[in-house]
Amino acid sequence: MSRRCLIVDQSAMVRRVAARIIRELGFEVIEARTGQDALDTCAGLTPEAIMLDWKTPDMGGAEFIAKLRVMMQQNGTPMPTILFCTGERSVEQIVLALKAGADEYIMKPFDSDIIGSKFALAGLLDGENLACAVL
Amino acid sequence: MRGALSLRPTYYEALRRLTLQLAGVQMGSDHAFLVETRLSSLARKEGFDTLDSMVQELFSVGKSRLAIQVVSALVERDTHFNRDPLSFDTLFNIALPDLIEKRGGGRIDLLSYGCGSGQDIYSIAIRARYAAVRAMMGPVALHMTGVDYPSQALERARTGRYTHFEVQRGLSARDLVANFTPDLAPGSTDWLTAAHLKENVTFQDMHLMAGSESMGEYHIVMFRGAIAHYSRTARVRVIRSLTKTLRPYGYLILGSGEDLQDSYSELEPVAGAPGLYRRLKHDPMTEPVGKQPNGQTSFEGAKTRRVGT
Repeated sequence: MSRRCLIVDQSAMVRRVAARIIRELGFEVIEARTGQDALDTCAGLTPEAIMLDWKTPDMGGAEFIAKLRVMMQQNGTPMPTILFCTGERSVEQIVLALKAGADEYIMKPFDSDIIGSKFALAGLLDGENLACAVL
Repeated sequence: MRGALSLRPTYYEALRRLTLQLAGVQMGSDHAFLVETRLSSLARKEGFDTLDSMVQELFSVGKSRLAIQVVSALVERDTHFNRDPLSFDTLFNIALPDLIEKRGGGRIDLLSYGCGSGQDIYSIAIRARYAAVRAMMGPVALHMTGVDYPSQALERARTGRYTHFEVQRGLSARDLVANFTPDLAPGSTDWLTAAHLKENVTFQDMHLMAGSESMGEYHIVMFRGAIAHYSRTARVRVIRSLTKTLRPYGYLILGSGEDLQDSYSELEPVAGAPGLYRRLKHDPMTEPVGKQPNGQTSFEGAKTRRVGT
């Protein structure tokens, strides 16, 4: 079974660019536009990793993680690895995201080196993908 | 027909020879793109209309300042935080614990040779602040010196300013917020190294092909990711100078996939630790063993000379 990563971002372009990079890292990619879309997707088949914007149209990052945690506990499923990917670059915002339970934090704009590096730091890569990642 | 390179091929050849002479670095034929991009930006900064005109002036006037800038730009390597983490493990799990046990207190001096834009040194400084490492270090203070050719990169190491992209390559979000602050200047997306990372850290210019006399004495020398680019002559010269700067029983740390390629009487490889060498406490004899003829062709000659003195 292939590994799965869910990308949550309002912008179709961001999702498309990120999806291309993440597929190269060996993941099957699924996309969602809003927090609720993402939660619905996770209720069906939980991905191994979620890369999401801190501000989805319907909920903030902390609220999303809290709701996802409740859902995972009810299902007895382990939490996916969470990477925020957002335009906000203040120390306070990054600390807030880490406290909420994020494993990594990506500041937009990103490139393939950044995504590869952050996936490696979050423990999501192995073998050749890990060897190629900037780490 | 001209390829991707707008620089005249004869100039390109001349630049290759200059880089080999001044820095001991061999540029491959695939460096054409690198030459083009790096030298074009230097040419603009120095006020030349074209890359050709800068290179023409370099070879006709032959000013050493320009030659050093050109070669520095050519040999500068891209780097990022926590590059080659296995060799940092070697530093923190083998070299430092051994030196701390032997010394018990005082300071440990580390040299980062070819420090570029400083990410290696700051990566070590970040890891040295982890609670487990602090506990291991006890009263021992780690002092670090980065040396490289005078360059833009070295200036950036000194100021500790990194771009939005650089701080996201190899650096975790936790390490970022604990050790850097965003530059608040309008329009800037850079991040600045916090003052605590610069404690006990210095950066020094090194003159191309200069000897090791001015570099000082160190317990640890890190020389990573570069040895493969050197010609054999330059490699032996660099390793000899670095050995001279090492204190007895100090450590030379290469990249985790690198080795010295020659044997040196004063350096012994540490078993089970790729790229790690310990300096022995012999007489200062740093020739590669069995590789350097001493000029004698027979025992007869040696005897004669001895009789003569």
